[in-house]
Amino acid sequence: MSVLPPFELHRPTSIEEVVELISWDDLPYVGGTELLLAMRAGLLNPRSLIDLKGVAEITGVRAHNGAVRIGAAVTHQQAATTEVISEKLPELPPVLLHVGNPRVRWSGTLAGNLCFAEPKSDVIPFLIALDATVTLVSADGSREMSVREFIIGPYFTARTEHELLAWIDIPVVPGRRGTYLKYQVMERPTVGVAAVRLDEGDSTITRVVVGAAGEVPVVHDVDHAHPDRSAVATAVVDALEPIDDLTGSSDYKRHVTAVYVERALEKLERM
Amino acid sequence: MTIRTVVNGRPVTEPIPVRWTLAEFVRDRLGLTGTKLSCGMQVCGVCTVLVDGRPVSACSYLAVDVDGCEVTTIEGLADAGSLHPIQAAFVDHFALQCGFCTPGFIMMAKSLLDENPRPTRKDVVDYLDGNICRCTGYQPIIDAIVDASERMTP
Repeated sequence: MSVLPPFELHRPTSIEEVVELISWDDLPYVGGTELLLAMRAGLLNPRSLIDLKGVAEITGVRAHNGAVRIGAAVTHQQAATTEVISEKLPELPPVLLHVGNPRVRWSGTLAGNLCFAEPKSDVIPFLIALDATVTLVSADGSREMSVREFIIGPYFTARTEHELLAWIDIPVVPGRRGTYLKYQVMERPTVGVAAVRLDEGDSTITRVVVGAAGEVPVVHDVDHAHPDRSAVATAVVDALEPIDDLTGSSDYKRHVTAVYVERALEKLERM
Repeated sequence: MTIRTVVNGRPVTEPIPVRWTLAEFVRDRLGLTGTKLSCGMQVCGVCTVLVDGRPVSACSYLAVDVDGCEVTTIEGLADAGSLHPIQAAFVDHFALQCGFCTPGFIMMAKSLLDENPRPTRKDVVDYLDGNICRCTGYQPIIDAIVDASERMTP
């Protein structure tokens, strides 16, 4: 008696081969961190799995056009310890090194995390705060969109049936500062708050992105380098639509979110 | 599909169903039942084994993904009947009660000490964040791992 339903396995070596195969019934995977659990629970029953680990074009991290490009097969651990990321995106490794646990970090990928669109993802709010984009490739061509547009709802993305999320681009912005704080007592956070400060021309923007508390991240921009923390917290909580779940009631989440927004901004001030 | 792997130093070539998890392969095919199963969702850590030295949850990892890799399970730690220093430290510190979570904790400790031979107490706590002991034995487990690190790199 096997815990997983039967499926075929493909091991392509190029993006072209992957996009020939990919469909709602033929799913790409790297570690299977989220996918195998969904299959085991009977939520997905794909005809085949497409192993991306042999596709050289998407197994690495490199600087590309003022951004850092992270291939779809790159794990959290690999990204967190890659030199180009430590150098150009020093704010990212501390976030990745607190995803799940070491086993999840060694086998799970950033791209998989985005495609699963788990509302309690740590990666999604932070990538939104950094203005990251994804590139979706199909046999007909490719398109790029922001992570913010890509995440439509819980477990729901803008990826269409025959598209592969091939890589994530995170713009490198000199002088940008960013941090991520989460409150978590069980396996998944009650709330995660990303706070980023960046210069845009003559002004400085402070951005707060709140994940985990509601179904989709809340993004709040303030045109100020040192905004009033309590006012930002109030505005963010007003925009939040928290849901009651095992990590807390909606009232509780509103309270914890306000506290964590203020703490994240306080931490950002010191950066 | 036939996979070629090295398990606890022994080359293994086995035809297996692609749907098999690594836990099914090591427990049911190889008879290495030291690797336990509990949550089935990478949360509790009891099924931890090392693949090319990296910790994975064998319950949620495809066996075909160890093709070409080296696998170490709890059975691979003791050397010719003498306990690995981490195992010895667990015994000396009474770092277990029922013992069901122990193989997972020891494999995670092995992975930590391979990466960071002299971790602080906080490093140990952080690294073991994804391992659960329901007999509430965490303090002796942390003591054992810190002690093992001192025994292994005096």
